[in-house]
Amino acid sequence: METKFANIIENKEDALRRVRVALLNILEDTEDARKIAVDERNKTMAIIENLTDGILLLNVDGKVEIISPMAREFLKKEEKDIIGNNFFELINDKEFEELKELLKEDGKIKAIHRKEIAVGDNLNLEVSSVFLKAESVNKGILIVLHDITRDKLIEKMKTEFVSIAAHQLRTPLSAIKWTLKMMLDGDAGKITEDQKDLLEKTYISNERMISLINDLLNVTRIEEGRFLYRQENIQLEDIVDLVVESSTELLEMKKIKLDIDVPKDLMPEVKVDKEKMSLVVQNLLENAVKYSKEGSDIKIILENKGNEALFKIIDKGVGIPKNQQERIFTKFFRGDNVIALETEGSGLGLYTSKNIVEAHKGKIWFDSGENNGTTFYFTVPFVK
Amino acid sequence: MFKKILLVEDDKFLRELMSKKLLSLGYEVSTAPDGETGIEMIKSEKPEVVLLDLILPGINGFDVLEKAKKDPETANIPVVILSNLGQSEDIERGLKLGAKDFLVKAHFTPQEIVNKLKTILE
Repeated sequence: METKFANIIENKEDALRRVRVALLNILEDTEDARKIAVDERNKTMAIIENLTDGILLLNVDGKVEIISPMAREFLKKEEKDIIGNNFFELINDKEFEELKELLKEDGKIKAIHRKEIAVGDNLNLEVSSVFLKAESVNKGILIVLHDITRDKLIEKMKTEFVSIAAHQLRTPLSAIKWTLKMMLDGDAGKITEDQKDLLEKTYISNERMISLINDLLNVTRIEEGRFLYRQENIQLEDIVDLVVESSTELLEMKKIKLDIDVPKDLMPEVKVDKEKMSLVVQNLLENAVKYSKEGSDIKIILENKGNEALFKIIDKGVGIPKNQQERIFTKFFRGDNVIALETEGSGLGLYTSKNIVEAHKGKIWFDSGENNGTTFYFTVPFVK
Repeated sequence: MFKKILLVEDDKFLRELMSKKLLSLGYEVSTAPDGETGIEMIKSEKPEVVLLDLILPGINGFDVLEKAKKDPETANIPVVILSNLGQSEDIERGLKLGAKDFLVKAHFTPQEIVNKLKTILE
């Protein structure tokens, strides 16, 4: 009997020893796993701490869990005042108004991608916010603040430089224009036919320079964001009429037949900056003429699309090569085929037009094939 | 009767060209190379019309215009701005201050400028 008990006890003790070893092993593994987790966390934190962008991690309730030093600097707050607090309460100051407006929607944070805002007078930030999801469950929100103050400043300087340079360039060009014209008018004595011919050609070159500078000024004004000046309610038909009227000389020079097709019933009015919208129509018409053969025809069609007006201009010109169509609206871009034609152009017309149309909440696009003509379209919403 | 025109313009060559054109058409021309002289001469010469540049050394053209319009002695003298500024804000400001017209130099020939003056003088 006794040996039997002793055996049982021994067996139990043995089992317990094995359990102990197993438990120790598990503990050791957990400790290792914990160490790895801490290492990982430290690594992640080190990355966040040293990023040049400001990073904020909010939990699902909009409370701050992590904030990087750069973000603290942007928000001008101490870490202890931030962690665990509601993000919107932290940016309640007037200087963060734009940031708040950008991120807040129905009391919650919305996802945005690279939007520019100003904070106070001396800081410009590009803001992105992303929902962090694990297996489609929302785990929080990541906000990235990227400092673009320097980029903004350089952009502003560039714009101002072009604007000032353009104005300064106009003065000597005016002097040249006036002199040539007065010589052509015989104000400085009679001139021969040969002299007249040369002076006329010089005059035309100078006019090109003046219009190039006007294009540059238009572009810089778009970039300064003050291009739409005064918007008024007007018929798009009237704008087209005005531009066509002032382009008769241009059309006659290339013997181009222009057909205009407008809806029988007057369309509703559009709210536009008349001068700028005319510039769009003029750019598109000039392009159509420039890139069409002599004696070709061009058609302008206006259509009532219910809530917007559609403008179409169809030419049978050289077209836009397929591989360059993507870049057609970029600044200073000119198609290879039109450069080869030795036509004049600054590569600013379509860039300007796109900006103007979009500033009016319209769209601009085209259909084209090389040597197959081009149709440009744009829309402007009607006044409701 | 010869009409008297005052030309306020800081660029010497432009001043000469415009004077030459006006003189050849039988106008009487006085010139001022800066804003300060411009104001004085608007008062002393009492021209029938003033051609006024905007970017001037010292007092700029907008200030000259404002002063001329505030002074009852000179308020009725028509002023035409002839400048290479020409953005909508500048034009608006000039016309608000009482200018008769706003001409961008690079967009007009001397003859076209004179034609504008003629319609104002009539």
